[in-house]
Amino acid sequence: MNLEDYRTLFAVATAGLILMAAFPTLSLVVPFPRGAERFSELWVLGPNRMAEDYPFNVRVGEQYRVFVGVGNHMGSSSYYLVYAKFRNQSQPLPDASNSMPSPLPPLYEFRFLVMDGGSWEAPLTFMFLEVSRLEDSCLVRRIWINDVVFSVDSPSRWDSENNGFYYQLFFELWLYDVTSRSFQFHNRFVGIWLNMTG
Amino acid sequence: MVLTSNLKLLLIFLVLSAFTSPIFVLRVRASSESVAASAVNQAEQALASAYEAVLEAERTGVNVSGLLARLNEAGELLARAHVSYGLGDFDGAARSADLCGQIGEEVRVEAHGLRSLAVEEVVQRFRWTMIGSILSVTVIVGAGFLGWRMFKLRYCRRVLGMKPEVAKDES
Repeated sequence: MNLEDYRTLFAVATAGLILMAAFPTLSLVVPFPRGAERFSELWVLGPNRMAEDYPFNVRVGEQYRVFVGVGNHMGSSSYYLVYAKFRNQSQPLPDASNSMPSPLPPLYEFRFLVMDGGSWEAPLTFMFLEVSRLEDSCLVRRIWINDVVFSVDSPSRWDSENNGFYYQLFFELWLYDVTSRSFQFHNRFVGIWLNMTG
Repeated sequence: MVLTSNLKLLLIFLVLSAFTSPIFVLRVRASSESVAASAVNQAEQALASAYEAVLEAERTGVNVSGLLARLNEAGELLARAHVSYGLGDFDGAARSADLCGQIGEEVRVEAHGLRSLAVEEVVQRFRWTMIGSILSVTVIVGAGFLGWRMFKLRYCRRVLGMKPEVAKDES
């Protein structure tokens, strides 16, 4: 190695040490991009807080319980709104491809905040209070959800393929957007099918 | 005398009829509905402002878990207010919304205070970090320069101190 090579080596080593010394200050000034994907989770669990034993064959006057949960991976604390909605087979679900929520009115709602990396879970107990049945049709008139009674008047026709009067209790996830200062549908929904047996 | 008492009775009857008339009941109901709607709207804004304040505090490094726990209480109240309002329980909705608004306002003020403290701390930390970096860079540059000078001197001495050897040409 000649003197020029040594000089280059010295310059490189000094520049490296300068960078190391300046890094603490640079890290406070330069925003380093976060590589992680930002998203939220939405789930429904059965009465034992497991993904099993979901209520399916339901009867009037019996209480059923599920747990609704949300996980936050948005990179900061988030403000969520979960709508509980009830539909028959012909009523619309949210349109995931166009990020549109279901036009059905919400029955019950949860509003909560979750830290980044944290999760939230709440029980939802429901019971059918008033259901009218004819030969091939069924009309759910009133539902009780977490101590509140709601009028729904939701008719359903006999599903001869699956042998039942089918309804769905589903949950939509909305996220508060600081820019628009309003809740936006977060394009996540989950639900359970219910067969009105009696 | 009898006429006066009859008139009094008639007056009381008329007043009672007016209070129980559908128009009066509807007006009172509309009034409580608008009061509840306004309370729910204000509570929504209070909770949103509090959340934004908490978010700003969080960005400056404040531990916001306590604030979030209180905002969750406010969120529950606001959800209850919405449900009550939807079911026509306007008094209940207004009550829940007012409580939610109070908590939201308290949290917003607290978050602003914590954020100001955190900003001061960050500025102080930045100042000391910058001083440390400047000192370190100065020491590194100085040491590098001196080190290079010494190395160059030793290198030159070694090169100059070398004795040329004469090799025999055996060809």
